[in-house]
Amino acid sequence: MTDPLQHLTPDEVEQWATGLLGATRAIHLAQCADCLAAAERERKFFRELAQLARLAPSADFADKVMAKVRIPTPSGGLEKR
Amino acid sequence: MISPSAALPRAARTTSEEGDGVIGAKDRPANLTGASDQDLVEWAKQGHEPAFRELVRRYERPVFSLLYRMVRDRALAEDLAQETFVKVLNGLASYRAEFKFSSWIFKIANNAAIDHLRKRDLDTLSIDGSPHATTPDEIAATALQLDGRGEDPLQEVEARELGSAIERAIGRLRPEYRACILLRHVEGHSYEEIARILDLPLGTVKTYIHRARNELRVHLQDRRE
Ligand SMILES: [Zn+2]
Repeated sequence: MTDPLQHLTPDEVEQWATGLLGATRAIHLAQCADCLAAAERERKFFRELAQLARLAPSADFADKVMAKVRIPTPSGGLEKR
Repeated sequence: MISPSAALPRAARTTSEEGDGVIGAKDRPANLTGASDQDLVEWAKQGHEPAFRELVRRYERPVFSLLYRMVRDRALAEDLAQETFVKVLNGLASYRAEFKFSSWIFKIANNAAIDHLRKRDLDTLSIDGSPHATTPDEIAATALQLDGRGEDPLQEVEARELGSAIERAIGRLRPEYRACILLRHVEGHSYEEIARILDLPLGTVKTYIHRARNELRVHLQDRRE
């Protein structure tokens, strides 16, 4: 198994930053200031990205889409009938 | 017959009972916001207009946001988003349920963005020198082109919406990297889902995301210095 003294890999740093790193590897962070600093920097960066706003299209977007959508007719136009 | 207490028909039942259309009006909840994407797709295929609208409501912001950040032009992003939804909703008959609906719609949206950006790259080939910027200078040149249009009110909105340091840094990434970063960190897709959306090997997705993050850090560092 992995040596607890071994520094975290970039994948492990990402796992920690997203709350998915196993406890056995997370122990290393209590012993290594370098890895802890790197992991915290990564977590802050990920949070900044995750907080980017969901931007909205114009208010009539759905109507414009629906005007071009062909709705199957239950009375006969369905491919499954 | 399904009992009236079963509020949401599950996908497994859908398959066995769609032949006689049992799912139809009876078991469909009045409020569709809690329905699964799979159920909405089934109902839409049966001609239920509100199911189409719920799919649009659910995905208009995520899809538009991805496209907007990819092309960095509000009006164009809206056209591409419309094109994406029309294609998806008119193509529900060919939708395969083993593919997540969200992956499918993001795949079509991303293809629309990449196609557009490639065409634009070809148009600007003589200025840019290369359709695929690889060095930081080339990437910066490409990013400047993306932002370098005339002044107009819409551009002010764009500057407000995409003007923060992190948005500008994302705008400087090459399109493939940008798509990976947005799908991973803004939309929260797994690496496997991103590989399916982008039609790329898993290893390539990991490499792109790793490189994209490094580039973002460098771009953000530039701004802070
Ligand atoms: Zn360490």
